[in-house]
Amino acid sequence: MEVLLQLLIGGILQGGIYALGAFGLSLIFGVLRVLNVAHGDFLILGAYATFVLYSTLGLSPFVGLVLVFPAFVLIGILVERTMIRPIRAQTAHEFLVASILITLGISLAVEDLLAFSMVQPVKGIDYSLAPFRLGGLVISTLRLLSLGLIVLLSLGLHVFLQATLQGKAIRAVIEDREGAMLAGINVLAVSRNTFGLGVALTSAAGVFFISIIPVEPHMGLPLTLKYLSIIVLGGIGNLPGTLLGAVILGCSESLVGFWWGAEWSLTVAFVILIAILLLKPRGLFG
Amino acid sequence: MKPAVAAASLLAFALLPWIASTYVISLAFALFLTAALAQSYDWVGGHLGYMNLGHAAFFGIGAYAFGIIFARGGGLPLAWGAAVLLPVVAALLMSYPFFRLRGAYFALATFGLVALLERLASNLAGLTRGSEGLTIPTGYRLYPAYYILLILCAALTLATWRLSRSRLGLALVAIREDEDAVGAYGVAPFRFKCGTLTVSAAVAGLVGAVYTWQITYITPGDIFSLEKAVGPVVIAMIGGSGTVLGPLVGALLIETIREMLRLKTQYLALTVYGVMLILVGLFIPGGLMRLRRRAAHGQS
Repeated sequence: MEVLLQLLIGGILQGGIYALGAFGLSLIFGVLRVLNVAHGDFLILGAYATFVLYSTLGLSPFVGLVLVFPAFVLIGILVERTMIRPIRAQTAHEFLVASILITLGISLAVEDLLAFSMVQPVKGIDYSLAPFRLGGLVISTLRLLSLGLIVLLSLGLHVFLQATLQGKAIRAVIEDREGAMLAGINVLAVSRNTFGLGVALTSAAGVFFISIIPVEPHMGLPLTLKYLSIIVLGGIGNLPGTLLGAVILGCSESLVGFWWGAEWSLTVAFVILIAILLLKPRGLFG
Repeated sequence: MKPAVAAASLLAFALLPWIASTYVISLAFALFLTAALAQSYDWVGGHLGYMNLGHAAFFGIGAYAFGIIFARGGGLPLAWGAAVLLPVVAALLMSYPFFRLRGAYFALATFGLVALLERLASNLAGLTRGSEGLTIPTGYRLYPAYYILLILCAALTLATWRLSRSRLGLALVAIREDEDAVGAYGVAPFRFKCGTLTVSAAVAGLVGAVYTWQITYITPGDIFSLEKAVGPVVIAMIGGSGTVLGPLVGALLIETIREMLRLKTQYLALTVYGVMLILVGLFIPGGLMRLRRRAAHGQS
């Protein structure tokens, strides 16, 4: 029973980390209609940035987050301006194909360059805080703190989308692009900001990721696949659905990993994806 | 003039083993392998408009089915048969859930299929020998394998040419351009989608079997690698997805670049590949074949 609780807590935390990245992917897809294949790689980049900050400047991951988040907003905006906006004028099919080619190219180049530039590609952070006990349960303070911050970030994102003008504009564009344009929303600016925000969210997930699990460059694409199953589960632009999907995936991975071994975790994500497609093709809440 | 050019190049390739060294023949073998995969991919990816990043999954199923049966002494006919039939079964099974997805979703879900099979091939070590790799009895097979792929490539190109001029080809392009409109005209898109995917899977499986037969040693990391998954798609795109000759042109270009890279540098080949993808996506999303046509339109 305690083992089960322990596993579920681990799964929920993992799910929270997945959720941050999946929010980003979902927003980007909703607004720009671009499937960002390089999404998982931005998580890895965020994790590496955290590692570099920690190992050279001695900054704790949580302080690092304050630097990493805005830096990746800028990186995301830069990517959107240089590589996504120029192909906007294509027809729908060509745009889809070109955007997948471009983001896949980014993903391949980033993974290869990271693997090349790091002598030992697997990076972890030996940052830890004393665990505390709750009855028979041992709970890692680091994990709890991460979970708390993830919840805060998600709530912040929720408030941003619901209450601010910029957030409402994002939702409007997801809802109806032409309608949003007619209402005087600058769709180009919204697209740019959303890409920055989405990339920054997944880089923030990278900060939490590396403080718990070591990362290596080739985790990027499998992560993007997991994000995809999550947003198919939760529905595009649906934050609570995405969160639930992420937690379902995190918990099932944690349980399957315990009983059958961690090498099956991607298989789980995929089986869940297929099952959802068969039963509810529009997502759990669609 | 065009049939004459085609016949001449076919004859040249058929006579190549008498003039060229083994090195050239193995390069040509790699070229045909790439071209056959790209051409069979493009029926689904280019004509039908469903970007199937899981084409390597069919290739891999064929490669492994052939390898496992042949390594256990199952005999060649059975091995070849299984290498074609199993991908067909896989394609039929995945049609229903996967063709509920469109666009980017379909692309990424099929990509997941390759990742899934890579895990399965590594984890089910009893069947596939896992990451150790599967070995089949060796033999001198470069020339027969070369001719099989040459004939296959010629047949595929002819089939694609016929397809592009048939009602069936028209139906596929119509689905690519507006699937809902096709449905509204009383044509069920699913039958076309499922059928095209199945035929394309059978060809990929056959190519996989030829690969195992000639290379004699396969590992999950090689068969289900990123490069194999992305390769056919990229090649078709570069040459011109949905055109008859596009996949062939793309294969020629990519194989040349890859060989040059291999001679020049050991590292960062994937980075160069990635940058190339970005450039193609940004500047020639229609591919080289369409570039020529566009130029012609511009002049007239």
